[in-house]
Amino acid sequence: MPTREEKERLALLQGTLDLLILRTLVFGPQHGQGIARTIQQTSEDALLVEHGALYPALQRLEAQGWIAARWGTSANNRKARFYTLTQAGRKQLVKESTRWRRLATAIGRILGPEAKEG
Amino acid sequence: MFRRKRTASDFSAEIEAHLQLEIERFKEQGLSEEQARAAARRAFGNVMQAEERFYESSRWLWWDHLWQDVRFGLRMLARNPGFTVTVVLTLALSIGANTAIFSIVNALLLESLPYSHPERMGAIYTQVTGPVGSDERHHLNGEQWELLRDNVPALISAVSGIRASGVNLEAGSQVQYVHAGRISAHYLDVLAIHPIIGRNFSDAEDRPHGPKTAILNYGLWRNAFGANPKILGQTVLLKGEPYAVIGVLPEGAATPLNADLYTALQPSREGEGSGTNFESITRLRDGATWPEADAEINRAWSLRTQRYELENNPGAHVMFYSVPLQKAQTARLRPQVLTLLLAAGFILLIACANLAGLTLVRVMRRTSEVATRLALGASRWQIQKQFWIENLLLALLGGAVGIGVSFLALRGLLLLLPEHFLPVAGVPLDGRVMGFTLAASLLTSVLFGMLPALASRNVDLRSSMASRAVAGGGSLRLRQGLIAGEVALTVVLLAASGLLIRTLVHLETLPPGFNPNGIMTAKASLDDVRFHDPAAFRNLLDESTAAMRQIPGVQQAAVGLSLPYERTVITGGIAISDGKEAGQKAMADTIYTTPGYFGALQIPVLAGRSFTEADGPGTQRVAIVNQMFARKFFHGASAVGRYLDKDTMIVGVVENVAMAPGIDPVAPLTSEETMYVPAAQMEARQLSLLHVWFQPSWIVRTARPVEGLTAQMQSALASADPNLPFSGFYDMKDLMAATLATQRIEVALLAAMASLALLLSALGIFALVANMVAQRTREIGIRIALGSTIQKAMIHIGRSGVSAAALGLVVGLILSAGALRAMRSALYGVGVYDAPTILLVVLTLSAVTLLATIVPTLRVARIDPAKTLREE
Repeated sequence: MPTREEKERLALLQGTLDLLILRTLVFGPQHGQGIARTIQQTSEDALLVEHGALYPALQRLEAQGWIAARWGTSANNRKARFYTLTQAGRKQLVKESTRWRRLATAIGRILGPEAKEG
Repeated sequence: MFRRKRTASDFSAEIEAHLQLEIERFKEQGLSEEQARAAARRAFGNVMQAEERFYESSRWLWWDHLWQDVRFGLRMLARNPGFTVTVVLTLALSIGANTAIFSIVNALLLESLPYSHPERMGAIYTQVTGPVGSDERHHLNGEQWELLRDNVPALISAVSGIRASGVNLEAGSQVQYVHAGRISAHYLDVLAIHPIIGRNFSDAEDRPHGPKTAILNYGLWRNAFGANPKILGQTVLLKGEPYAVIGVLPEGAATPLNADLYTALQPSREGEGSGTNFESITRLRDGATWPEADAEINRAWSLRTQRYELENNPGAHVMFYSVPLQKAQTARLRPQVLTLLLAAGFILLIACANLAGLTLVRVMRRTSEVATRLALGASRWQIQKQFWIENLLLALLGGAVGIGVSFLALRGLLLLLPEHFLPVAGVPLDGRVMGFTLAASLLTSVLFGMLPALASRNVDLRSSMASRAVAGGGSLRLRQGLIAGEVALTVVLLAASGLLIRTLVHLETLPPGFNPNGIMTAKASLDDVRFHDPAAFRNLLDESTAAMRQIPGVQQAAVGLSLPYERTVITGGIAISDGKEAGQKAMADTIYTTPGYFGALQIPVLAGRSFTEADGPGTQRVAIVNQMFARKFFHGASAVGRYLDKDTMIVGVVENVAMAPGIDPVAPLTSEETMYVPAAQMEARQLSLLHVWFQPSWIVRTARPVEGLTAQMQSALASADPNLPFSGFYDMKDLMAATLATQRIEVALLAAMASLALLLSALGIFALVANMVAQRTREIGIRIALGSTIQKAMIHIGRSGVSAAALGLVVGLILSAGALRAMRSALYGVGVYDAPTILLVVLTLSAVTLLATIVPTLRVARIDPAKTLREE
């Protein structure tokens, strides 16, 4: 039963999910559910991450060699697949975040200062 | 591509773990088990979709589809065993033929010579432009060699005797017949071979009258000397003289001469070096380039006093250049091998044309299957892929069987070839050959798959679902075009092999000029200091032939320097001393003989007399010439009584004898101007030189086969000289066969390919007509019902095959007219436009076409009009 609040969450822009996953993994190994929760919490629930979409993305990042995966046990003793950032992933994160920041700044400039709603 | 991927179950496990974690989180927030599960599902979205996306993102799917297609393809092929077996056999034969021929090309032209850095090794070609042009590897004379050695610093050069010769080696008490190669200093340096013990020849040992030394190859050192490590400095008795062993070559060391042992050539401008009797090989020095070397050679050889290439060729220009040794060594066989490769390529094309026709029909038959699959939602790409995969499967299957065929074909071929015919150690089926076979298989699948693929693109869904009609007129014309094309190629192959067969027949039916029946011969090496003395030589011949005449059953015995069908020494500058031709110079094959030579071989004496015991060292010098000699130099006037070289009187004229040519090698067998001289009148100087190059033959004639003849001949020779073994015994008939071995192999191979082409073409025509009968059963039924006779119906159907073959025949004859001119140099006694050959080709092809057409049309007679009409 989706609430109103949830409907107003922002859908992710194409390609940003990869960046967010990499960023999340900077803090250490994490499993899929943890990654999804972390993104949602750190964005203060502003971003909508459909958990199902996460896994193909993880799959893709793993294939690129930016993250590595291993089965392990979670904090509450459940089996889970843990993802770690690789050296290449770290580089990719720096590259991508720089790119993203420049893009955001550029778009911000074009849109101009935030108009006050009268 | 084959990187280990995650399995789908592993992925499902991960998703399951995720859901469990979510459920626990929601339960901690106070939701019930059921609510928590629902919330976790909701947050996840569509599980199935995620799994599907995982699956599609992986390459599993691709493999799965491919594997499905392959399995489906295999099922389709298995369901149609007639088609599959026909295609695979056709492919196996054609790809097998190609693989076998290619493996020879590979061994001859692509494999590197077994020397270090073979690309830096060369041979020198002489290009003469002018009224008489030529471009070939020449042998060198002594003057050329000295200039090459001293004035061409860009190269390390070396020369050798033209081939290894058989000599007798005495080591201890044993006499052994071995092959000795005579090489200059640095010959082994050019080959980059270093003895495992001892050293190579020094410059001092290579000078005329230098010390006599020998280098053994590994095999001889091990077998004859027990691998004695203290062999250096020991003397062996070679050609009756002591030679000091100075080195042993490493195991497997190959040289162009392939000899058991090597002695120093000691070349000079005198004797052997006064003619072109040396073969050179070169190696480019570090830092030098081939153009530099060529410039130096041209400069050096322009300094010569004797420029024999320009004799009798006014205004000619001569140029020398280096050619990679690989190319020079294989030049003799290159045209034949490439011709065979071309023929094999034809076979592949013919096979492709056949298979294209067959698969076209198959695709047409499957129109309704295709339409159904299209209707069920298959994409055209998927349908195409299915066909291509089936073609590929067939091609790979055919290629695999083809490798087996080529292995057998190659073994058979190598059995056919005389020993040392190919200048390589072996013909391996190596990686390169396998690569070629794979490439040929893939190419074939593309070639024969292309047409049907194009045809199946145009399947119209509605019309093909509705009707049962199959191939239209367009596809028939296409198939006829294919048949015409393959018949045309077959005609070219048939005509080519026909001409070669005619050549062989011409050569084999040449009048031999002697009677080869009942002749046994044996050779022995007289390259021995003992026989340089003319008196010793005469004694040996007299006593050994006398002893052989004592063998029961032997009618005659004689000795000659050479036999019919062999090569012999050529003497140039024979002066005609009298008559109106006085002062003219003659060149002739020269053979010394004992008096019984003409009698033993039954060479007819046409005028004058044969040699007698009276023609000895102290008497009038005499000669006998053959008819060609008499005709060429005396123009039909009687030759008997004329004088050559001032003091030699011609006492007889004999019939021409077929010989391997020496003067002008245009055909493998011919008659040349020949001069016979008595062995008893040979001089020491001549004997020592001739016996380096040639081993004389002992000839006996028997009325009927004699038990143990060869052993008795050997003991007869031993009674004259106990230390002289025969190097081999040869039945005259075998010798004659060996002379034409090359021609026979060429004919056998090309004829085999032409037969294969003919068989494939016949199959193609058969398939076309048989298919027509099957397709038009209903039409034929109607025709017959409407009053057409069975014959008329048969003609109507058969016309398609006959007209296609007729068109192919015409095109093929036109193609042959152009293509066969390239074969001119391989034809003797028959022209390129040989009416009997063309007639035979036309008749053969017509007969085969008719057979291939009539057999399937016979089925027309079994068509029951009532039944076929009812079936509609």
